[in-house]
Amino acid sequence: MEKPCTLLVHFDKGSPSMANEIKADLEGSDVAAKVDAMKRAIMLLLNGETLPHLFITVVRYVLPSEDHTIQKLLLLYLEIVDKRDVASGKVLPEMILICQNLRNNLQHPNEYIRGVTLRFLCRLNEPELLEPLIPSILANLDHRHHFIRRHALSAISAIYRLPHGDQLLPDAPEVVERALTGEQDASARRNGFLMLCACAQERAVAYLLTNAERVAEWPDLLQMAAVDLIRKVCRSPNRADKGRYIKIIISLLSAPNSAVVYESAGALVSLSSAPTAVRAAANTYCQLLSSQSDNNVKLIVLDRLHELRASHRDVMVDVVMDVLRALSSPNVDVRRKVLDLVLDLLTPRNVEEVVMYLKKEVVKTQAGDLEKGGEYRQMLVQAIHSCAVEYPEVAGSVVHLLMDFLGDTNVAAAVDVVLFVREIIETNPKLRVSMIQRLIDTFYQIRASRVCSCALWILGEYSLSLSEVESAISTIKQCLGDLPFYTVSEEGESTDASKPAQPVVNSVTVSSRRPVVLADGTYATQSAATETAISSPAVAPGSLSSTQNLRSLILSGDFFLAAVVACTLTKLVLRLEEVQPSKAEANKASTGALLIMVSILQLGQSSYLPHPIDNDSYDRIVLCVRLLCNTGDDVRKVWLQSCRQSFTKMLAEKQFRETEEMKAKAQISHAQPDDLIDFYHLKSRRGMSQLELEDAVQDDLKAATGEFTKDADDANRLNRILQLTGFSDPVYAEAYVTVHHYDIVLDVTVINRTKETLQNLCLELATMGDLKLVDRPQNYTLAPESSKQIRANIKVSSTETGVIFGNIVYETSNVMERSVVVLNDIHIDIMDYISPATCADVAFRNMWAEFEWENKVAVNTVIQDEKEFLDHIIKSTNMKCLTPPSALDGECGFIAANLYAKSVFGEDALVNISVEKQADGKLSGYIRIRSKTQGIALSLGDKITLKQKGGSS
Amino acid sequence: MVVLAASIISKSGKALVSRQFVDMSRIRIEGLLAAFPKLVGTGKQHTYVETENVRYVYQPIEGLYLLLITNKQSNILEDLDTLRLLSKLVPEYSPSLDEEGVCKTAFELIFAFDEAISLGNKENVTVQQVKQYCEMESHEEKAHKLMMQSKINETRDVMKKKASELDKMRMERGKLDKGGYSSISGPRVIEKTFNDMSITGSGFGSGSGLGGLGMDMDSFASKPKGGRPSAAATAPGKGLGMKLGKTQKTNQFLESLKAEGEVILEDVQPSSVQSRASPLPPSDPVTVTIEEKLNVTVKRDGGVNNFDVQGTLALQVLNDADGFIQLQIENQDVPGLSFKTHPNINKDLFNSQQVVGAKDPNRPFPSGQNETPLVKWRIQGMDESSLPLSVNCWPSVSGSETYVNIEYEAAEMFDLHNVVISIPLPALREAPSVRQIDGEWKYDSRNSVLEWSILLIDQSNRSGSMEFVVPPADPSTFFPISIGFSASSTFSDLKVTGIRPLKDGNPPKYSQRARLVAANYQVV
Repeated sequence: MEKPCTLLVHFDKGSPSMANEIKADLEGSDVAAKVDAMKRAIMLLLNGETLPHLFITVVRYVLPSEDHTIQKLLLLYLEIVDKRDVASGKVLPEMILICQNLRNNLQHPNEYIRGVTLRFLCRLNEPELLEPLIPSILANLDHRHHFIRRHALSAISAIYRLPHGDQLLPDAPEVVERALTGEQDASARRNGFLMLCACAQERAVAYLLTNAERVAEWPDLLQMAAVDLIRKVCRSPNRADKGRYIKIIISLLSAPNSAVVYESAGALVSLSSAPTAVRAAANTYCQLLSSQSDNNVKLIVLDRLHELRASHRDVMVDVVMDVLRALSSPNVDVRRKVLDLVLDLLTPRNVEEVVMYLKKEVVKTQAGDLEKGGEYRQMLVQAIHSCAVEYPEVAGSVVHLLMDFLGDTNVAAAVDVVLFVREIIETNPKLRVSMIQRLIDTFYQIRASRVCSCALWILGEYSLSLSEVESAISTIKQCLGDLPFYTVSEEGESTDASKPAQPVVNSVTVSSRRPVVLADGTYATQSAATETAISSPAVAPGSLSSTQNLRSLILSGDFFLAAVVACTLTKLVLRLEEVQPSKAEANKASTGALLIMVSILQLGQSSYLPHPIDNDSYDRIVLCVRLLCNTGDDVRKVWLQSCRQSFTKMLAEKQFRETEEMKAKAQISHAQPDDLIDFYHLKSRRGMSQLELEDAVQDDLKAATGEFTKDADDANRLNRILQLTGFSDPVYAEAYVTVHHYDIVLDVTVINRTKETLQNLCLELATMGDLKLVDRPQNYTLAPESSKQIRANIKVSSTETGVIFGNIVYETSNVMERSVVVLNDIHIDIMDYISPATCADVAFRNMWAEFEWENKVAVNTVIQDEKEFLDHIIKSTNMKCLTPPSALDGECGFIAANLYAKSVFGEDALVNISVEKQADGKLSGYIRIRSKTQGIALSLGDKITLKQKGGSS
Repeated sequence: MVVLAASIISKSGKALVSRQFVDMSRIRIEGLLAAFPKLVGTGKQHTYVETENVRYVYQPIEGLYLLLITNKQSNILEDLDTLRLLSKLVPEYSPSLDEEGVCKTAFELIFAFDEAISLGNKENVTVQQVKQYCEMESHEEKAHKLMMQSKINETRDVMKKKASELDKMRMERGKLDKGGYSSISGPRVIEKTFNDMSITGSGFGSGSGLGGLGMDMDSFASKPKGGRPSAAATAPGKGLGMKLGKTQKTNQFLESLKAEGEVILEDVQPSSVQSRASPLPPSDPVTVTIEEKLNVTVKRDGGVNNFDVQGTLALQVLNDADGFIQLQIENQDVPGLSFKTHPNINKDLFNSQQVVGAKDPNRPFPSGQNETPLVKWRIQGMDESSLPLSVNCWPSVSGSETYVNIEYEAAEMFDLHNVVISIPLPALREAPSVRQIDGEWKYDSRNSVLEWSILLIDQSNRSGSMEFVVPPADPSTFFPISIGFSASSTFSDLKVTGIRPLKDGNPPKYSQRARLVAANYQVV
């Protein structure tokens, strides 16, 4: 374990303070200068200077000072100064000089000086220094000022817990117990009690149990400690007296302090897995959820509830309505978590109630024009969606309500609604008729192009009866408005006059051009990404009141939508021909549809719009025209049946994937071959698993302080060794690189290969990139043919490939000048910092549009198969493929996939691969990397360039 | 339940101040702090971030973040409380909330953090309390300092007074010119000793510990106590510096010094004989001590209950060789005086010639450091007029207060030193208010006794008075008054006029001291 670091102060290197100056100031009698000098000395020490001669100055001139600030600074100084000899680990002899001062401080008339000194002793680890102070510490236990008693108790606790501390203070538990009985101050009692908990548990338990009746009246600090103790005590299995503890915990559940309540609830769960206990804990959490206004608390309480759900789902199901009540919080994160939790707790019994509540919430968002109303509504819609998928019977009650939101200004919410409708209409045939009717009624309200196209598809696909088909056609016509879209006279006007076209059209064109301007030129064609990023312009402005939504969208140049309109009309006409007994009517409808299509084509080819119709849409519309003019049975079958079939297949696929995922999840929780097996019948309560749970609590703290690291795989260890110098160099060095989260540790082994003693041998390192050396190098003397382990810590502050350069400098006795051996460079791999992660498709697209740094790497590989190439890249970059495997299926000669990873610093790394198989069998294409910072884009690009070759190499 | 660290960092991740409450390596904390700005997202409505191992709870303060690093099991409610407290503390201690300002007040902030979080555990304190703790204003310290100061002042006053008194005495001595003693050199020496003491006064007890200069009050006070009695009794010249611990002690010391005045004078006289005869011991080879103890009980409204004087003549011989001597004594004829001699003393010789000598001429007086009592005497049946000091006490209740008037009258026979008249008082919360006094007073609250002390009663102040006021009390509570004093002449006026050696040679040098002390002198 490295030396612990107790304080950090930013040190400005711009003002170097010489040890001499500090010394002079310390020796002076000016208090202010002395304070300043002490501060500088502490900062220098923190910065790695050792200042060995300063200690005596401090002892001589600072120790006797009466000033309180100086005394406190002195304690800080003593706290960080090296108290042990580096080589032998023995306490430095001069340290004994401070003992007298500490003893005086412990008897100081000023209670605060006594207090801070006692606090300092808590951090002192040297029994040699503590020993003479013990009587004074004990004397302070009886002081009448609580500030002193508090710290005296913690000091005793800290000392007793030192290795061999029980020899220093053999009767500490008795002393503390005695002090505890007469103590009134809350903090002091807590400190004393904690001491007993840590060092003499049975005494602490005795104290707790004798006061069991009064625990509810204890101060909150003490209650917290008590809960902690109970947790600890009940770790040991088969406690017969568990009931007594549970009784105490239950009494604490109604404590006035919410922190205590929270802690007790946690303890209760770890104490017992009986449904009653879990229910009490869950109820308590729910109370906290509604009573605490702080979002942080809500989120963390929700986390706890999530954990409870994992282990006690059956109990949690009962509190689902209480959890739902937390939706009243305006915070989006809280709401999302609540919905997540609730969706996991659905049962046939409560689903009705939940959906009703959600419905009410949706209505509420309509009424209050909340800022985040749209986003919230989207979340609610999604939640209802998943409820309905799981329990189709509830769909009927909500779908009509939701369809009111098709015309929502929040495109995302509207898209969700329409997707929901699409799925329900397929899976719930009973609802079809009413839904189609409803859709026809509300169609004119739809503003967004994506929603429109989806709604059109539904109309085309599910309008079956005569009346439905007819009204669908008439609705579409109505929405398109009067034909033609544009006349020759208009063209003439716009061509001969240089002024812009009609005001109506003008505003539309401006809005449709906006995506082009915004996405900095190059990315204008990426419609999928830009549409969601800037969703509001996609809603045609100025036309909200009009019913002709389709017309304004098409006039804004949305020819994809126009193609969809054409297809839908074709489909409807084909169906009409089936259901309409009168041939004339069908023909009339057919000609009407043809007219619309032709008008669209005409508009597309005019110079009226800045962009002519794209080839794809043109082809589709032309196809529709041809089809209507010349229908055939096979074509009819394709249009009227195959579409539906493939949609059904898609839904089935989705369902299948979800169940697969569920299965995979379930698989993970299966027991490992070497796991402990809980025999339910052999144990009254599943207490044993709590043992592990509590161990996790202990580990948690250790992990947080960095004390606890998992043992690395020994086989891989050796791969990490880097040779730094040649075998024939006078000094051989190799490094073992350990990469932790935020730091890199180099364990360098240096071997003297000569027959001479090397003096002042120093390992000098320099770094490039976001790396920083923590310690300054030390000088060593190396005997002939001996070796030395040197450890260097390097701090990493962002994900970036870094390089560490270095050299070893040394002197030999006969040659006076210094010799230098330059070391091999150490490259720090970015792969150590990124880990595969997932994100939603929409989020990926948003980030893709937003991030500024792109690195485009041309594909150059020997790999012939595009699938294989993708796997190779995934493997070598340690990323996750977001594109679902089903989309990558099949042999089509090209592949496009999105990869995603996250760094430990929370940075996102996005990669898009698009490759195509050339005629000669080679792969070509590009890999694009995007990130917020340059570092990742560059280093990841380098990595890919290096690795993509793949194949035989 | 544990806060790992409380820190302030800039938005760019520069750690400005950080205080860790559990052991963690430097690289670890720096790494955690550097990672934080990247983890904290924008536009979130909650202020905590969780990573794999730790949780950060933070609060933006202008261009900075104030954050707590906790483990993930930590109680969020407590942590938020703590954070709230810290966020109130930071502006208190760092007036300008930017990097520079925080760096400048880094240590003050660390002190404040320490008060708010004790070793990772939350403390229930308010901003006011933290401020109070950090200011470290302590009444006890002030009281302690005041006490120290007053003690120093008191000692200094006493010293001055003593010096002037000694000056006065010297003048008187010069006038009286008693015996052949050099009356000038003695007091000078004493004066000089005092000056020495005043210089080294603050350095007492410095030998007791390392660097504990002037701070180790206990040892300072206790050391002289242990060393004092023997020094006063046998080796008056030694260790003068050790005795200035308390005024009281100084008085006693001076008292004995004065009682031994002559001895000291002889001591410093350059004497070739003496140095040859006894090179080692500082005092004379033969010392005679004459002491009379007074046991007096006087009734409060006149009349003597008991008046008894007991006298002793004791001899100290340092060397065996000087033990073969006889003492010639003389005394005033006082009615009621009766002598008793040691069984080994030749009674006949004593009764007939007033010579004290051993029965067996070949047996010397015992030698060594111990004093051997040779003759005892008693004086009985003296009447009130012979009392060296009479005290009248007149308590009178007036309204809600009791006025107490006390006066003393001293007989002309004696010059009394270190007169202390102790008047018991009813239990009082504060010292009585003394309206008028000849001399000095001191209130001993523990025993609730008012001590009226007059250093010297001589021709100039044969009578004196004091008046003080206390809350109403029964007059009998002010009795019994006890009186202590000493004088350098005795009732019997017994003196050794000469020493005759039993063997050939010169009579050894001798010194004598006589004193009268009030062993038990009460007004009931």
